Amino acid sequence: MNISYRWLKDLVETDLSPQEMARKLTRAGLAVEGIHEFADDFVFDIDLTSNRPDCLSHLGVSREIAAIQNAKLKIKKASDEGQRTKDESQNLVAIQDEDLCHRFTARIIRNVKIGASPEWLVKRLEAVGERSINNVADITNYVMHELGQPMHSFDFNKLSGNRIVVRRARAGETITTLDEVERKLDETMLAICDAEKPVSVGGVMGGFDSGITEETTEVLLEVAYFKRESIRQTSRKLGLATEASYRFERGVDIENLIRASNRATELICELANGEAGEFVDVYATKFVPNKIESNDIEFAVKRLTGLEVEEAEILRILNALGITEKDSSKVENQKSKIFVSPSWRHDIAIEEDLVEEVARIYGYDKIAEELPPTSAAGEYQPNEMRKMNLRKTLADLGFDEAISYSFIDTRSDDRFTLVPNFVHENLDRKYVELRDSIIEGAVRMRPSLLSGLLDAVRTNLNHQRRDLKLFEIGKVFSASNKENDLPNERELLALVLTGNETFQNKALTVREFDFYDAKGALESAVDAVNAVSLEFVAKDVKHLRKGQSAEVLVGGKTIGTIGRLSDEISAAYKFRQPVYIAEIDLQALLTEKQPDVLYRPLPVYPSMQRDVSLLAKRGVSFADIKKSIENQGFELLKRVEFVDVYEGKGLADDERSITIRLEYRSDERTLIEEQIEEIHAQILRKTEENLGARQRF
Amino acid sequence: MSDERKQIEQIREAFESEFGRFAHLRAEIGGLNLADAETLSRELAELKTKHTGKKSEIANAKKLIGRVAAEERGAFGQFVQTIEKQIVTSIEDAETNLKNFIAEVKTERERIDVTLPGRRPRAGHLHLLTLLRQQIEDIFVSLGYAIEDDREIETDYYNFDALNIPEGHPARESQDTFYTTDGFALRSQTSTVQIRAMERRGVPIRIIAPGRVFRRDTPDMTHTPMFHQIEGLCVDKGITMAHLKGTVAEWLRRLFGEETVTRLRPSYFPFTEPSAEFDFSCFKCGGTGVFESERCRPCKGSGWIELGGSGMVHPNVLRACGVDPNVYSGFAFGFGLERMCSLMYELDDIRLMFENDVRFLEQFK
Repeated sequence: MNISYRWLKDLVETDLSPQEMARKLTRAGLAVEGIHEFADDFVFDIDLTSNRPDCLSHLGVSREIAAIQNAKLKIKKASDEGQRTKDESQNLVAIQDEDLCHRFTARIIRNVKIGASPEWLVKRLEAVGERSINNVADITNYVMHELGQPMHSFDFNKLSGNRIVVRRARAGETITTLDEVERKLDETMLAICDAEKPVSVGGVMGGFDSGITEETTEVLLEVAYFKRESIRQTSRKLGLATEASYRFERGVDIENLIRASNRATELICELANGEAGEFVDVYATKFVPNKIESNDIEFAVKRLTGLEVEEAEILRILNALGITEKDSSKVENQKSKIFVSPSWRHDIAIEEDLVEEVARIYGYDKIAEELPPTSAAGEYQPNEMRKMNLRKTLADLGFDEAISYSFIDTRSDDRFTLVPNFVHENLDRKYVELRDSIIEGAVRMRPSLLSGLLDAVRTNLNHQRRDLKLFEIGKVFSASNKENDLPNERELLALVLTGNETFQNKALTVREFDFYDAKGALESAVDAVNAVSLEFVAKDVKHLRKGQSAEVLVGGKTIGTIGRLSDEISAAYKFRQPVYIAEIDLQALLTEKQPDVLYRPLPVYPSMQRDVSLLAKRGVSFADIKKSIENQGFELLKRVEFVDVYEGKGLADDERSITIRLEYRSDERTLIEEQIEEIHAQILRKTEENLGARQRF
Repeated sequence: MSDERKQIEQIREAFESEFGRFAHLRAEIGGLNLADAETLSRELAELKTKHTGKKSEIANAKKLIGRVAAEERGAFGQFVQTIEKQIVTSIEDAETNLKNFIAEVKTERERIDVTLPGRRPRAGHLHLLTLLRQQIEDIFVSLGYAIEDDREIETDYYNFDALNIPEGHPARESQDTFYTTDGFALRSQTSTVQIRAMERRGVPIRIIAPGRVFRRDTPDMTHTPMFHQIEGLCVDKGITMAHLKGTVAEWLRRLFGEETVTRLRPSYFPFTEPSAEFDFSCFKCGGTGVFESERCRPCKGSGWIELGGSGMVHPNVLRACGVDPNVYSGFAFGFGLERMCSLMYELDDIRLMFENDVRFLEQFK
């Protein structure tokens, strides 16, 4: 919003320099974003909040200055008096839809000579960023910037029947607006019509055919008040926002119509040779000011702001802003009052609003800085610390934290096996879809973090970063299986690795990542949140390569998947190197009961260790072997650990050799060789029986 | 010369002829490689055993002392000792020099380049937004606030109605709220958590709620359709705007330093009354607007950084949560994390925050 310094000085008594004025306006809530010199004037660029349409004019800003500086306005209060000629015909204006048009005034001005505007007028308009068109158009524009009231001038002779009917448009009616675009109207829109057809989209833009031209001699000047919501709707529907609609939809001053009309009429008579003719004022829906009860405004100001402002000063500020006390409430020594908000302030309705008015004029800078008295101790979210540890652990392991958009496109639909018990597969619409999204790639809310991480992998590969470790913690979404229920939200953890292990500040990489890097990272992350251990069970997973995929379980429940990305998906992403990904239900993991940690007495006697290489079919897993050994239940066997695995040269294709370490220990005595010989032999015999895994020497 | 003396002289001559090739080692050593030096060292050790050990000739020669006439015995004894000392000194000098030389060469050979990188796996990095969020959370927890978060997809009630944005309100009609096909809103501000938390915890309450919010902005340098906000709420008896100002000033001082100044400017938000925007003196130029005699970038030369919105919780919002506005009052504030990050790091394109480009992520610690 552009406001001219000189123009303000025409309207309010003030000696403030432009800089001082800008500072004071900003302090009171009219943020001056910039001061620009324009000829002999200064122009303020004011960023107004949406609740202050009353300041979309020089009069409005002048009122603020008057209140701030305790100064006088040079302009008279609006009144219905003035040059007012009776509507002889009584037939000039008819409002049919009073709910949408609360008040409509029309003034006929005759013998108008359309021409150029005088220099002062052109300069004023240019100062606020408006281009001069012709004298009548410039005057209506000028008055809008001065008094905040948009208005429209018709060529009276082009109005069929020489009259105005204000009504809702009929289905199928069209109008070509001043910008020469034909627009379809509908029954929700208010049209200003002549005897036959719409001649203006009320409060938005006038019609092309009824507009004034160089030939115009008789002008009908429309100055009206429209329902705010209606203008907003129409403007949106037509995709047409104008200076007029901007003001009408925020709310103009319904009591200011006659003053604005008179001001424009005066100027047209003076500058365009016009003669004022008939005037009609149809005030259909009377304005009812807000009445605000306040038991003790002084106390209310102190209670909400901590400011101690004397009642006299409070009343001065409110009155300067046009907020008056209702006469009947003026009883001596009585704190309780009823205040009446002015017709130009649509935003003042409750005592708190009055407090804000007082505080902002008195000065927010006078508010003290205090900390509230301490009450309770602070607290993190229940799992915040655990998640912090998890993040830190993954970062220490070399993972960079990704944050991806929560929405995705449909490309990844049904590509991934999702975390269990989350998406209801039997629903027609199992995902959360977005309504008419205009943002590219934002079609639905992600049901998995994987698509985001894979996009990130591609971004980085495209930048020649081939060695990557990324993780993300974030919410995923699925439709509820109950009608009208909010969608399901769940927090997941996902990680992705590709390329080689790298050292800090070293160009040469160490070795290529494989499944066990992903698994190790996931296990470390889980250790960091002190949750129970994960189990991994080989299983085919839709998005993972056969034979290199597993389900991740905790406490016997599946909470996610891990493995090497399938060739199909890799190809779709144009990945030419193996990618390992895992995704787990973090919420499920964190709600799992944390294991109790109990002290165990330290061993007194030394242990004996035996390393054994077992030759077995590939289908026999380490877990199978471990379980088979442990299940034999020998008390002296304390631990079975993995040592190494060998496959390839010297072994059959379907075989591999697993080396394990068995640790024997007694809690009662030092073991001697012979005591474990028999047990050890028995263990190996049984393992061979159970799994066909025989010792290899 | 007595026979005995001759014998001693012979021992000396024999030694000197054998020691001859080591004699230069007594002076400064040069032009020798390590292997040769070590060979010399071994040979010298052999020589030492031969000429100074218990079975050496000079040791044997001491037996001659008894045979010398009594009156000459003293002088002869001294003579033997002198010779023995000469031999020992010669060898030991050479030995010491050689040892030092070898040690020096070895040290030189094992000298390391301390500027080579230390051995450690490449460290990962937490996201810039996580780092800043945690910093701010820590400050507020120490001020007695609880951290809260809640749903990201909300009903219109929590996203609008309860926040005093009734149907027909311009903020609600605005084109920037994402809706699901089922008519739920992706929360457009974290203020929704105010309502949920007050419903759950009641009052008095002190929370901050960091979280994701969504607006239908087409991505550009300063906008992304998803971003993060931190919302603060404090409701109790007797809470005033002075507490709001004090709290905002306190956390900004803790984040940006003791000299940080905070100001409130009147503004408008449907869910607060009175409302204020809060600005703080620029952390870079200290509020002067000038940095290194150029216009300061983060504050665009104004000396102030506009950070977020705040105000006293609107009575309608308190009522919606079953709190009596005549008994309780409270303040709320909110600001965008991405904006704060871009100010602090002079980041000119906030879209980078969600591209997960490692070249970007690894810049922040």
